[in-house]
Amino acid sequence: MAVTAGAETVGAATVAPGRPPRVRDFVRLKLRLMRNGFRGQAWRVVLFVIGVLFGFWFGLLAFIGLGASGTGSPDVGFVVASLAGSAVVLGWTFFPLLFFGVDETLDPARFALLPVPPLTLARGMLAAAFCGIPAVATLFATAGLTVAAAIRFGLLEFGVAAVGVVAGLTLGVIASRAITSAFAALLRSRKVRDLAAVIIAVLASSIGPLQWLIISASDRGSLDQAVAVARVLAWTPLGAPYVVAFDAADGQWLALAARLAMTFASIGLLLFWWSRTLEPAMLGAAGSSGGRVKPAGADRSGAVASLIPRMLRGLARPTAFGAIVARESRFWWRDPRRRASLVSIVMASAVLPIVLQFTWRGGGQGAGLSGGASALAFSFAITIAGTMGGMLLANQFAFDGTAYAAHLMQKVPGRTELRARALALAVVVVPAEILVVIAVSLIAGTPELVPGGLGMLATGFGAAAASASVLSVLAAYALPENTNPFALNSGGGSAKGMLAFVAMIGTLILSTPVTAVAYLLPGAGGAVVVGVLGVAYGGLLAFVGTLIAGDLLDRRGPELLVAITPRR
Amino acid sequence: MAEVPQAGAQPALALRGLFKRFDTKVAVAGIDLDVPAGSFFGLLGPNGAGKTTTLSMAVGLLRPDQGAAFVLGHNVWADPVEAKRRLGVLPDGVRLFDRLTGTELLAYTGLLRGMNPAEVDVRARDLLDVFGLADAGRTLVVDYSAGMKKKIGLACALLHAPRLLVLDEPFEAVDPVSAALIRDILQRYVHGGGTVIFSSHVMEVVEKLCTHVAILTDGAIKAVGTLDEVRAGRDLEDAFVALVGGRTATGQELSWL
Repeated sequence: MAVTAGAETVGAATVAPGRPPRVRDFVRLKLRLMRNGFRGQAWRVVLFVIGVLFGFWFGLLAFIGLGASGTGSPDVGFVVASLAGSAVVLGWTFFPLLFFGVDETLDPARFALLPVPPLTLARGMLAAAFCGIPAVATLFATAGLTVAAAIRFGLLEFGVAAVGVVAGLTLGVIASRAITSAFAALLRSRKVRDLAAVIIAVLASSIGPLQWLIISASDRGSLDQAVAVARVLAWTPLGAPYVVAFDAADGQWLALAARLAMTFASIGLLLFWWSRTLEPAMLGAAGSSGGRVKPAGADRSGAVASLIPRMLRGLARPTAFGAIVARESRFWWRDPRRRASLVSIVMASAVLPIVLQFTWRGGGQGAGLSGGASALAFSFAITIAGTMGGMLLANQFAFDGTAYAAHLMQKVPGRTELRARALALAVVVVPAEILVVIAVSLIAGTPELVPGGLGMLATGFGAAAASASVLSVLAAYALPENTNPFALNSGGGSAKGMLAFVAMIGTLILSTPVTAVAYLLPGAGGAVVVGVLGVAYGGLLAFVGTLIAGDLLDRRGPELLVAITPRR
Repeated sequence: MAEVPQAGAQPALALRGLFKRFDTKVAVAGIDLDVPAGSFFGLLGPNGAGKTTTLSMAVGLLRPDQGAAFVLGHNVWADPVEAKRRLGVLPDGVRLFDRLTGTELLAYTGLLRGMNPAEVDVRARDLLDVFGLADAGRTLVVDYSAGMKKKIGLACALLHAPRLLVLDEPFEAVDPVSAALIRDILQRYVHGGGTVIFSSHVMEVVEKLCTHVAILTDGAIKAVGTLDEVRAGRDLEDAFVALVGGRTATGQELSWL
């Protein structure tokens, strides 16, 4: 190497020891990554602004609500502080797991090659976690409690409450990171990941009935019970940081110190645990390619026979249509992303009508609804179930990703493709939903309405298949190529996902003709009419929808491929 | 309007004025290319030259802003069914339907093309045999190694016995054993009358296999012809570097290294 005049070092003689990165560096990194993520994509900025507004709005509502608890009796204030605080900490711990996923902007795997001490990394990532809409919005919301303390007590309690609120938020954030990091270490095997995705989907769809249970329980409770529960929670790290203002007001300095100590100790422990699980999380990505090579087994039957499962032989002839039906029906189970969506939607569509039935019938007590109204409620519930099932087809091409190129290269006609996909989904989803229809009518005590229910199911599914097909061609977006089941689906996905929700409302409107008939013709005979009509109407809607979407697909094939290709 | 090239020595693939712009960047700036039938054609170029974009436009995966592509006389964008019937493609960076086994994937590809199921069975068995994938049995493609994935992708491209094979970086991330097998199969294919066009940035592979070469940089073709014409007596690498330009080390940089 060249030695310029006057230099002392020759080549790589010494490796200078650097200082470990400061927490500030992590925060700056995260902000810079977020800023660059917006570059050139105006709609991402718009989405971010919308997110900020949403966060501000909900934070404001909570702020006002919690602040208002400062007026009114101290008991109520205590209960609100304790329960709301526990909900915040629990929510932060579990909601990312179940719903949105953890923000992967600072992915620990990226730090694997850098000489960063684990504890420094944990602290840095914790600080970075605060730089996001959810954390800021939560802080804003829980700041209402500090205002409540100021109103009720005074300035000292305001300060104490502020410390408590920040401590509580820190606890929630770090709990969520520590747990997902610990799970990520467990999830290195592909099979475990697939299983986890299914379990999460099942858990997520159980939130609905759980919520309903809690609400009905709280309706029947009393303030004393609530105070007792709040007291218990206030001695756990969940509620402790949020009630310290009350301790200060009562002069219970020992209790105050104990609660704060408990909170900080929990934070410290979680931080330590997180730093321990970070290392396997960092290395996990590099390791396994999953799955072993299975030996050649009973594959003697020939290629085509192995593709088309025996059950579908009648339905799926060995043509392009049949091949797509066969593959799609296999993929709904074999592809983990599809499977997770499938399980959560089927569970939700099974639970929702049952819950609705209970609500409308006054929780099983009371007279229930009569005649036409009962049939209407029933039909509405079933239609929603069918619609949710059919809406799985929205953004269906994104599940295949760039593999769709194979269809493009074969020039498969659009109508054939969309109809085959809809049929495959029907084969997978409809049997489960038929069981739901039977279960719901049994619970409602109206088994004669089953034919009508099947008709409504067909209508809902057919209408949803139609609109979802059109949506999947026109408003497709790429799914991230991330194998982490907890990864956040950031950016455009949420906007177009909301579009699917809007489309669902439109679909329900489409099914009103049959619902109207169900209302007008109650009883067993009417149910049969509704059944036949429903199946015919649903089939017609699906036919027309796939026709329109198919022609669109023929013209827009390459553009669709671009839309569903994930940006590297 | 682009005109159909005259018959006679009809090129296997003819590109006329292909142009593609992504936002502000011009990826492909007007490419005219004739790939002679029966040739083994190499498309060389550095990363970001526009090779994948050009080939995607040529086979119907990416819509060109201007220009036309003809496969054995058939316009790919105006008459896609006929053109794609004669075409076999192994795209780069494109997933396969990887939750299928190798056998299922071949069957699926064949049925999508409307082939006779019995014929699909026979050919699938032959292909799996030749490529040494018959032992993979019930392993899903997602669990295949990189070499196996390229092999199964190539098998899918060959299943319908196309006249023209378009391969995008077929040897990338492939182990030497698989690469040798792929090379043999491709050479047999060309000797049997087929045409192969593939893109690469590895000189040795191109020099060993190709009869014709085109060098692509910044979305335009800088040199095209038979291998000897383009080489002009030098090493292909020297010819390439001379055409493409680039920085050579002078010895003064990185003195701290």
